[in-house]
Amino acid sequence: MLIDIQNLVKDYQMDSLDVAALRGINLQVQKNEFVAIMGPSGSGKSTLMNILGCLDNPTSGVYRFNNTDVTGLNDDELSDIRNKHIGFIFQSFNLLKRMSALENVELPLMYAGIDKAKRMAMSKQALEKVGLADRMKHRPSELSGGQRQRVAIARALVNNPGMILADEPTGALDTTSSMEIMEVFKQLHSEGNTIIVITHEREIAACCKRIILIRDGLITSDTPNLN
Amino acid sequence: MQQIKDNITKAILSLIDHKFRSFLTILGIIFGTASVIAMISIGEGTKKQAIAKYQDLGVSNIIIRDKDMTDAELQTVRMKFSKGLSIEDAKVITDVVPGVVSVSPQSETKMEAKVGDRSAKASVIGVTPNIVSILNYRTAKGDFLTTDQYDRQLKVCVLGASIARELFSYDEPVGKSVKVDDQWFEVIGVMQPKALFTETVGELASRDLNNDIYIPLSTFNKRIPKVNPFTSEVKQLTVKLGNSEQLLPATAVVRSLLNRRHFNNDDFSIIVPYELMKQEEKETRIYNLLLLSIAAISLVVGGIGIMNIMLASVLERTQEIGIRRAVGGKKKHIMNQFVTEAVVLSVAGGIIGVLLGITLSLVISWTTEVQTTITLYSILMAFFFSVVVGITFGYLPAKQAANLRPIESIRHE
Ligand SMILES: Nc1ncnc2c1ncn2[C@@H]1O[C@H](COP(=O)(O)OP(=O)(O)OP(=O)(O)O)[C@@H](O)[C@H]1O
Ligand SMILES: [Mg+2]
Repeated sequence: MLIDIQNLVKDYQMDSLDVAALRGINLQVQKNEFVAIMGPSGSGKSTLMNILGCLDNPTSGVYRFNNTDVTGLNDDELSDIRNKHIGFIFQSFNLLKRMSALENVELPLMYAGIDKAKRMAMSKQALEKVGLADRMKHRPSELSGGQRQRVAIARALVNNPGMILADEPTGALDTTSSMEIMEVFKQLHSEGNTIIVITHEREIAACCKRIILIRDGLITSDTPNLN
Repeated sequence: MQQIKDNITKAILSLIDHKFRSFLTILGIIFGTASVIAMISIGEGTKKQAIAKYQDLGVSNIIIRDKDMTDAELQTVRMKFSKGLSIEDAKVITDVVPGVVSVSPQSETKMEAKVGDRSAKASVIGVTPNIVSILNYRTAKGDFLTTDQYDRQLKVCVLGASIARELFSYDEPVGKSVKVDDQWFEVIGVMQPKALFTETVGELASRDLNNDIYIPLSTFNKRIPKVNPFTSEVKQLTVKLGNSEQLLPATAVVRSLLNRRHFNNDDFSIIVPYELMKQEEKETRIYNLLLLSIAAISLVVGGIGIMNIMLASVLERTQEIGIRRAVGGKKKHIMNQFVTEAVVLSVAGGIIGVLLGITLSLVISWTTEVQTTITLYSILMAFFFSVVVGITFGYLPAKQAANLRPIESIRHE
């Protein structure tokens, strides 16, 4: 099992007020699943995704990733997991402004300690895969929204993480670009990757094989998508 | 290794991206480094100048001067049996005092020197030929006085550099004659120019050695009339010792010897240039330390400038840090990135500061009376400290950057 979550709770302390963002989540995800997470705004989707991506710690509960209890790991070990096993994609792309597309994609490889030549080769390959072979030298400001998100995807998959987490990847894109992105995800899924996507759009969720609904920090429904 | 090279390249690129900000950041370091170098150069230069003055007098010499006295005082001293300084004193010191290499007695007087219609005020100094080795005198043209000329009491002279120029302009002085008071002396040599002796050292009144005219002491005593019948035979004895370690014991022996020979009349004074030099060195050391601490403070202020701007840079790049952490950057990677930037900045600042400091030192010595000496150790030290300051003050912002929580820094706008 890739992901095993038991009774996960996340509270935010706001001044004296306690905000319960997640109130006891149980979730299992197998390798090579293609999952959509849906739910109203403020229901806790991003909070859950950040914990899944080892970017944030739960207040309580158990998170086993690849059969390791992640909550017990230190900062360096978590960084390693993010680097080698998880590709994270954000709604706002989160590319480094002053770097070219190629350099942005190289970033995870640099932290993995891979040498320059190999880095370049792998990054080019990743960019080719998302259809950006001709835009490698462009900076983010010189790319369209859809192209930027494809750079972000290339960065997420360049180190062959096996799992891709995307928090509203198409939220800032028009329908055409959104469908292009989903085509890329479908391709990655067919190659054996596990993909989890947060979305508000039915068309996006329709591409996935399993749909989870969250409301007020709890999973209210979890159904396979058979079409 | 690869990682370090990558880091440095990235740091340089990022700093070039913010040229103006980077320049402002290192301004403090530049001025700090430059002022450290300039201050040390001034200190060293002043010290060298001070020491040169005493080295002219000889660091292993003892100088004994006949005291300046009124006619009445002089008369009293003579009635109490003291003959004043004499050539005999010189002989006794040479024979009796341990460590003495040689002694040169000299007489002095101020007189008018003439050549044709040109004339100048000169210090006429009667010396023995061995003064050349004692005071390191060198001639630019011709030769210094010889023992033969001394023994035969010849009317020959060696001119100081300035007086030679004054009396002969651009003519060749050697072989010509100079009229001193009302007697003719043949010029046999001209001295090399000497450093100006602007300060009075002990009983030695300042005088421009370049206006000296040297003649044999034997000739002086025979030909130059005494101002006062009671005037001592010689004005000064210059005693050369084997080395400066022998100065203290030798000085004590000389003092007691002369006291005995002069019947405790206290009519002479002893100057030890080496001791005066040591004392002045001690004084300039305190002064240098003061200069240096002022410079060091400016360097630290420069470091605080680095910290300030690095902190601003960390704040501005919070999101970048978050993204780097999200794709697997560890704390140490972020730390290295920012420390490398601080190092590159402070090395750049240090190099520019060193160049500015050298320029400053040169400009100071060209445009002012202050002499400066640029030393390698001051350059290395200033550079080293600027880099240390840069790293020290770059560390805190780097640490802060590394400790940001990934998810919070990504959300930071
Ligand atoms: N850093 C934070 N500090 C305090 N409260 C937070 C923080 N992040 C999220 N929350 C709160 O936690 C709850 C869940 O937020 P979350 O961002 O997970 O919602 P979401 O489902 O992703 O919503 P959206 O669809 O609008 O992105 C919200 O009530 C939100 O206000
Ligand atoms: Mg969200």
